[in-house]
Amino acid sequence: MDKAAQVAWNEGSARANAAYQTGRRRFTIDPITRLEGHGKIDIFLDGKGDVERAYLQVPELRGFEVFCLGRPAEDMPQITSRICGVCPTAHHMASTKALDALYQVEPTSAGRKIRELVYNTFMLEDHALHVFVLGGPDFIVGPDAPLEQRNIVGVIQKIGLEAGKRVINSRKRLRELIAYFGGKVVHPVLGLPGGVSKALKPEDLPGFKQLAKEGVEFALWTLEVFRKIVLGNPAYVKMITSDAFTHRTCYMGMVDEQNKVNFYDGNLRVVDCNGKEVCKFTGWQYREFVAEHVEPWSYMKFTFLKQRGWKGFVEGPDTSIYSVAPLARLNAADGMATPRAQAAYEELFKTLGGKPVHYTLANHWARVIEMIYAAERMEQLINDPEITSKDVRRVPTGVPKVGMGVVEAPRGTLFHHYETDGRGLITMANMVVATGNNAARIAMSVERAAKGLIKGGNVTEGLLNKIEMAFRAYDPCLGCATHSLPGHLPLRVNIYDRERNLVRQLVQS
Amino acid sequence: MNLEETNVADSNPYPVSGHVTPRLLLLGLGNDILTDDAIGLLVVRQLHRNFGSHPSIDFHDTTEMGLALLDFITGYSAVVVVDSIQTGRTEPGFLHEVDAATLKDLSRRTPHFLGLGETLALGWQLGLAMPKRVKIFAVEVEDPFTLSTQMTPKLQAALPVIVERIAGEVKIWLVNA
Repeated sequence: MDKAAQVAWNEGSARANAAYQTGRRRFTIDPITRLEGHGKIDIFLDGKGDVERAYLQVPELRGFEVFCLGRPAEDMPQITSRICGVCPTAHHMASTKALDALYQVEPTSAGRKIRELVYNTFMLEDHALHVFVLGGPDFIVGPDAPLEQRNIVGVIQKIGLEAGKRVINSRKRLRELIAYFGGKVVHPVLGLPGGVSKALKPEDLPGFKQLAKEGVEFALWTLEVFRKIVLGNPAYVKMITSDAFTHRTCYMGMVDEQNKVNFYDGNLRVVDCNGKEVCKFTGWQYREFVAEHVEPWSYMKFTFLKQRGWKGFVEGPDTSIYSVAPLARLNAADGMATPRAQAAYEELFKTLGGKPVHYTLANHWARVIEMIYAAERMEQLINDPEITSKDVRRVPTGVPKVGMGVVEAPRGTLFHHYETDGRGLITMANMVVATGNNAARIAMSVERAAKGLIKGGNVTEGLLNKIEMAFRAYDPCLGCATHSLPGHLPLRVNIYDRERNLVRQLVQS
Repeated sequence: MNLEETNVADSNPYPVSGHVTPRLLLLGLGNDILTDDAIGLLVVRQLHRNFGSHPSIDFHDTTEMGLALLDFITGYSAVVVVDSIQTGRTEPGFLHEVDAATLKDLSRRTPHFLGLGETLALGWQLGLAMPKRVKIFAVEVEDPFTLSTQMTPKLQAALPVIVERIAGEVKIWLVNA
């Protein structure tokens, strides 16, 4: 590291520290951990050179509520889907469901089915993107492979050119279905309170039936690839099940009436680290069950189970920390609602020693299982005679007041909550995003990785990659603020001594 | 709110593999509700107005990124990308110019470019109809994190200058095409 830069940094941080010490009694972001630009991790060493604390910092999305105030509620599905270029359809759908609630209107049966069809198509496409492009480099190429190979090109070299083409083509065709209904993938105009804006023309049905069939084949093939490359490699399996990537927390996920995983609608179910149901609630009740904790070092809000109270970043039967996303959904449910996904679900838990599974890296496997479910559900819906009904919308007549919408986004449970005046103009807007729901556990994972890899001031080679792997498994969409590829967030790690002097800086190369 | 958008693709524009039209794509990347992150979109929209429906140029702006860009860039012989960047090393409004060959270096600083660099590499490897020439203009921004449809004053002032500069470059490309 450049000496002059180090001196300048340390002088700046000393001044910032002094200012922080003066102002620490009020709630503030510690200047030394304040974020400029992209993600970074701050690691603080104790007198022995071991890790005292490690913090993951993410950019803050500023001004959401102010931006929304006074706007027509009907704009929210478009506004919120623009917040994030990664999961626009998830925001769009949560927002549309919030509008249903706001205007007290039930979508028509066909409208609801079209929404669910589009949503499952999105889940399949987004999960495929993660499996092959974002997470794939860790597993398919390998965690110890040279950095220049750990990317999509490396993935294709490993799985073969034809397989690579299959991934790219499947993804493209799935996006065509979303575009058919929504017009655009990134900010779809599909959802309206009471239904959707477009019906499925009977003449277009055969093409989509074929697509759904191919979707199922594609998802099952992905499981085969995963089995062969990941599960067939004892070193990977050892890493998945290692202590470094294990946390005994609670899990949250949406379930249907039979407690099976559902992405579009249902109740939120939470199980503890032994798999016992802690609570089950509707989206309307989220504020009774979920609360947000703030730490002086982060913009992130850490959600926790309100009825248990904030107990810190701890694990075990009494913890109030829960996680969301694929593995959490599988843990929180009793199974999958479709047959081939159910078989894959059983295989996962049998292989990894029963429910719940606490291995963070098993999220990648759970994601593949969810791909199968999404594809099978697509096939069910596209073969439903009602899917071509023209009755796709019920026009709302109620006076708007309060609306809550919740879906399972690819990265976990996503809540939208709006309040309006009688004309439908927003007076309050709040979102609890998936990464917020996972924030506490992600923080624990980063700290665990840092503690394992820094001893006596010695930084083990591969620290950056291991820490990245720890949080990439959650597929975090950091900040919902930048339209950046989450798996490729330029990561910077700052290591400070006990006096808070910056002693080393690692930058992802 | 103004949800203006140009040249929206209602159906997927994937061309047949190997078929390249001798056309230039001007592709604006960014987010028009994140303050300065809108710059790439606004530049391309303004260029669209200036050039009108030019026979050799297509204009597209999008909030998408990474792999999704494959949908837009395949089939063109040349692509000019306009995006935002925050290096912290230049004044807001400064126009960075990047050739595709140097994408790898920039990837350390902005995730957009890494996505684009990888997307290009992937397209080439899969034998898709990829552009032969790719040029990236990245505008240094002040605030890409606050939700707002208004850019900061520095970026507002820089917009016409940037548009003129890129228009000049595009004209040179057209002559050499």
